[in-house]
Amino acid sequence: MKNKARTLIASAVAVACLSGNALADDKPLAGKTLAFVPTSLGYDLTDGWYNMLKKELEPEGLEIIVRDPNWSTATGAQALVSLISQKPDILMVQNPDVQSYARLLRRAENEGIPVLQINMRSSVETTAFVGADWVGIGKAMAESAVASCGDGSGGSGKISLVQGPLTSASSVYQMQGINEVLEGRDDIRVVSSQAANWDPSQARAITDTVLKQHADLCAVIDFWDGQAVGSAAAIRRQRGGEDVLLITNGGTEQTAACDNIANGTFDKYMTYNVREQSTDIAELVRKILTEDIRPGGERLDRTTAVRVIDADNLRDDSCWKLSDYK
Amino acid sequence: MRNNNVFSRLARGQLLSLTQEKIVFLLAVLLFAVFSFSLTGFASVDNLLGLLYNVSVLGVLGLAMALVVIGRGIDLSLIATMAISVAWSLTLIRDGVSIEAALLYGMLMALGIGIINGWLIAYAEIPALFCTLAMGTLVYGFGRIALIPVDVVYMPADPGWFGALGQGELFGIPAPVIVFVLLSVVATLVLRYTRFGRYTYYMGDNYQAARITGVPTRPMLVMQYGVTALIGFAAGLVTAASVDSMNTRIVNSTMIYDVILVVVLGGIGLSGGKGGVRNVIVGTLLIGILLNGMTIMNIEYTVQNFIKGAILLAALIFDSLINPRDEQTAQQGDI
Amino acid sequence: MSVQETLTRWRNKYIPDHVVGEILSKNWIDNTVPFLALLATILVFGQVIPDFFSLSSMSDTTRQLGEFLFIVMAMMIVMVGGGIDLSVGSNYALGNFVALYLMNLAGLPVGVAVPLVILACAAVGLLNGILIGYLRLRAFITTLVTLILVRALVDMLLLRYAVDISMAMPESALWEYIGIGSPLGIPFSFLLALVLVGVVHLFLSRTRPGWHIMAIGGSRKSAYNVGIPVRRMVCISYVISGALCGVAGALFAARLNSAGSDTGIGLEIMALTAAVVGGNSLGGGRGSAAKGLMGAVIVLLITNGLVRLGFQSGAAPLALGIILLAAIAIDVRWLKNRYKLLAKVYVSPAYLALPPCPDTDPGSASPYAQNDKLRNVELIGLGEVEGPEDVIFDADGHLYTGTRFGDIVRFRAPHYDQPELFAHTGGHPLGLAFDRDGNLLVCVAGMGLYRITPAGDIQKMTDETNRTPWSIIDDSRLKLADDLDVAPDGRVFFSEATIRYGMSNWAYDALESRGNGRIICYDPATGRTRTVLRNLIFPNGICMAHDGQSFFFAETWACRISRYWFDGPRAGTVETVIDDLPGYPDNINRASDGSYWLALVGMRTPSMDLALKMPGFRRRMARRISPQELIFPNINTGCVIKFDEHGTVRDTLWDLGGENHPMITSMREHKGYLYLGGLLNNRIGKYRLDDADPEWTGMTSYWGGVK
Repeated sequence: MKNKARTLIASAVAVACLSGNALADDKPLAGKTLAFVPTSLGYDLTDGWYNMLKKELEPEGLEIIVRDPNWSTATGAQALVSLISQKPDILMVQNPDVQSYARLLRRAENEGIPVLQINMRSSVETTAFVGADWVGIGKAMAESAVASCGDGSGGSGKISLVQGPLTSASSVYQMQGINEVLEGRDDIRVVSSQAANWDPSQARAITDTVLKQHADLCAVIDFWDGQAVGSAAAIRRQRGGEDVLLITNGGTEQTAACDNIANGTFDKYMTYNVREQSTDIAELVRKILTEDIRPGGERLDRTTAVRVIDADNLRDDSCWKLSDYK
Repeated sequence: MRNNNVFSRLARGQLLSLTQEKIVFLLAVLLFAVFSFSLTGFASVDNLLGLLYNVSVLGVLGLAMALVVIGRGIDLSLIATMAISVAWSLTLIRDGVSIEAALLYGMLMALGIGIINGWLIAYAEIPALFCTLAMGTLVYGFGRIALIPVDVVYMPADPGWFGALGQGELFGIPAPVIVFVLLSVVATLVLRYTRFGRYTYYMGDNYQAARITGVPTRPMLVMQYGVTALIGFAAGLVTAASVDSMNTRIVNSTMIYDVILVVVLGGIGLSGGKGGVRNVIVGTLLIGILLNGMTIMNIEYTVQNFIKGAILLAALIFDSLINPRDEQTAQQGDI
Repeated sequence: MSVQETLTRWRNKYIPDHVVGEILSKNWIDNTVPFLALLATILVFGQVIPDFFSLSSMSDTTRQLGEFLFIVMAMMIVMVGGGIDLSVGSNYALGNFVALYLMNLAGLPVGVAVPLVILACAAVGLLNGILIGYLRLRAFITTLVTLILVRALVDMLLLRYAVDISMAMPESALWEYIGIGSPLGIPFSFLLALVLVGVVHLFLSRTRPGWHIMAIGGSRKSAYNVGIPVRRMVCISYVISGALCGVAGALFAARLNSAGSDTGIGLEIMALTAAVVGGNSLGGGRGSAAKGLMGAVIVLLITNGLVRLGFQSGAAPLALGIILLAAIAIDVRWLKNRYKLLAKVYVSPAYLALPPCPDTDPGSASPYAQNDKLRNVELIGLGEVEGPEDVIFDADGHLYTGTRFGDIVRFRAPHYDQPELFAHTGGHPLGLAFDRDGNLLVCVAGMGLYRITPAGDIQKMTDETNRTPWSIIDDSRLKLADDLDVAPDGRVFFSEATIRYGMSNWAYDALESRGNGRIICYDPATGRTRTVLRNLIFPNGICMAHDGQSFFFAETWACRISRYWFDGPRAGTVETVIDDLPGYPDNINRASDGSYWLALVGMRTPSMDLALKMPGFRRRMARRISPQELIFPNINTGCVIKFDEHGTVRDTLWDLGGENHPMITSMREHKGYLYLGGLLNNRIGKYRLDDADPEWTGMTSYWGGVK
């Protein structure tokens, strides 16, 4: 059965290659299908990847199908299962956490479908990975806080952490990075570490209470820009937004990131630029499909560099606009 | 059963008939006292105002929910109505529509959802629980597909008076608290002194009897759900103004359960006809004190939830022991 | 006969519109709406999703369905008991976590781990059960709180163990098989869930605890008052719910090995939706495993199907919302209007043209001419018997009659002044007869054919017959056994007036005047019951002819007397004896002079005769007018006639003013007197027959000189 499937795929690939060659060179991906399972469409990261990829690769003939599980791991798993039986040429998956899709990703690779993971590594290694290093982002945020609040900076050293859901993997890794930096430092004191569940209202309430308790709070590290606007609102109301540093991270979409950096809402912004990621993804997809890289062969890995944006280095093109790609 | 009765009689005689509202109120006072002594900074005016600020949206939503619950209904679509209508308004503003016009459209949308809810419940006779449950997912789905391109919509750079709704202050009192207080006063007056309010109680107490005695129950239902949706829209405005954005993902959160808890905890029975604004305030205060105290203590969020749940459960059990339900008089289908 | 009348006759003969009402009255019709929804869902998604029906696709769908079915069953069982369990989603997550912990970290074998998982989740159910069952907390709010509590607990545990769990992979082939194995090509979890559906069906429909839970959901107060341990049963329903969540959680753990924190979030809403879309009522009393199954399949197909079709966020909620609304709206309308609709369409009149009505004017030459002979009958048991449909005498001359209270009352010879309770049947005793051994055989409406020994012991003879092939109403049960007589060889022939109505509403059958009745034979020698004649128009009285090979029977609404030979050279033939009676015939009994007495329960009226030829008119009437206002056959006045086997009417007895015997359903000759019974009377009449044999009794006529 498996052999038969392999032969089929091989012949399909061969046919595709032949026809690809026969056709004009401007459609090298004609007849290929990419299936994308995000955590959910409808927010800047996934919309960015999806639309940029469409703009980039569809003219080359690639067909992109997307299954939107709307934040449900179980639905996502089901979508993966049905995609595996549909056998796309490449499967692009944004893991909700490290292990939920692990078994399914291995199954996909075993059936000969190369899997490209984005922004969150599963415990199973697959053909390709593109994405931010969450631990690195955590580290960068903590280092930024240390620089502004630690010894020699004149800050009080008190910082507050506003996490995502405690069980969310990206939140856990950011926390891990922060802990690595703060480990053994006694000039920085974490006065509050609370989960706001990606909800700005909760972030606002938490930060509000913490600010009242600690008049000399130096910095707030918020784990996602979408929720950090809540923390920012609390800071603005109580301190006029000045003497408390707000550090956050995100996918660098114009309204979510640069607008807020420009108006002083966010002080430091760690970015894993979706635009760069999309370029990486497109490149890897091309490579996998045209060079016929099979699962189990070469491993492709593009970790997105973490950069810091603040009011000083903000440029007009620091962010991307979703509207440019739709 | 027998013991309960004895206990309840004792309780009625000696403890001046403890209702659930009083139990919860005593609990809130107790917690307040404990936190005031044990937590530095808890009892400061500033923190207490902050506490009120943090729960004022919950309180406003509680008022909205209370209105339909008193009329023996429930509105599970409240959060969806709030999030989607306000998020749509914000989207319109970002697209260049004037603030006033955009808010008017959002309000009309909320009102429309409420009226459809009421119509389905009154005329199609769909149980409120399911009607609003379905409406909630329907509104969210429709909004996300047709109206709102992203799941977090940010406030425009210069929201003007609209921003003051969340950020402004009057005599040092934050605007959301003022909104909550104003709405509470209006709701009290309406429930107590207007025909609309009294009819709502009659319908909650005995729908059939109210209908037979000439209460226009069906138009009343439509009005109730319409008003509830409008209050929900107001709560959404306050939320958006205070965090500069509207996150539509809250529709999928457990927020609606928190709202129901505020209402039921305060002592407004889901079987209708009982309670009022005071109950909502008491329930809101308890939740507010709890959350604020636990945040100050820096208790982990999951543990907070656990403690919140345990205290709610304790309040429910205590109420059941004091006011046991009788097999002979319990209403069928009253869950 | 005019053309139009012919058309009317044909239309009512060949269009079986009574079937509509009969189908609507079936219990399974309750599942129609969800079933049609299921069909529509499968059709639509089967069309739009490529290879929807392919093996791998089906297998993927059904594997997930397996887990979901457990949750829906958990929700459904609590719902039929009148509660609700919102904590199923959290409990499922707890089951998933415990399973992962025990398998991945504790390294327990599957056989130990799974029971422990079930136990853990059942403990949550027990908490719910104690709170709601014993402490009488409200189900909705209580399970809402346990939802939050258990979710918080799971989150706390995940924080502590999630990383460790994801590092370890259990080395158990059985565990792997549970997760991804497919015995017979069917996913393991789905197979298990199908077994569960069967078990739940048997539990709810065939076991005592299941009935108790259903009864509590139907009416908690009544259940409590009849002594069902309401608190314990409610508690048990939550424990079952918890345990089922545990199984589902373990299956999920085996399938995905995922300690994700969103496991089971919103599942309670999906399960509730599934249960309700399937037709289970919130608030209890109405629900079944089949309904849960249908609902689960519909909801899962839709949510999965929309994701597979590649719709963006929002499409699934939008569709689910619309479908939920539509399903409930239809269901609510259906529940509310089913009985209204049934009441409207069930009555299905037929065309019946009666021969011209003979003259009954006093002084006319008609044999039916009215007179006053019954005016001065003696009365027996005035005000002490209610509804003596039939009267009969035993070998000792004691008089027996049934009452509408279900009693058989005996008046002792010779004065018949004191009624005494002979036996209590429980239904409404109608026709009476004695067999050769002196046992009293009685047709009891709503129960069947019973035998009462002289000592007063009641034995069932039969309560069912062979079902008519292709009948929609299950006519194997006897609903309205009416009158009977005993053949010389002991076979009992009895009539069932109609299979479409019971004792409470038999009068509607007159509006139909269709051949809804039948005559059935019970043979005590073999114990077999067989229908001998079908499609009779309200067959009523039955009386053995003196030849012992045939009996006469009356068809009430057809106003006719027929004779059926069950033995002898003419066996199997039916012959009409009188077809133009002036009234509605009821019981027939032997007379001492070799002829037969016949009671006419009421007289024909021109309006009713006309209405019988206008089925459309009667149909409209039955649909639009309240039952009190309908035209029914007149049963205010009646008479007794005597006819011989050629159909010649020999005598007619009337009570013209209707003072003593306004309604006569039976009469029995005994030693020179005629005793009269009436279904709606409160007395028995005794009329002296001047020219009758004063020694003649029914017992000797039937059984000779025995005793």
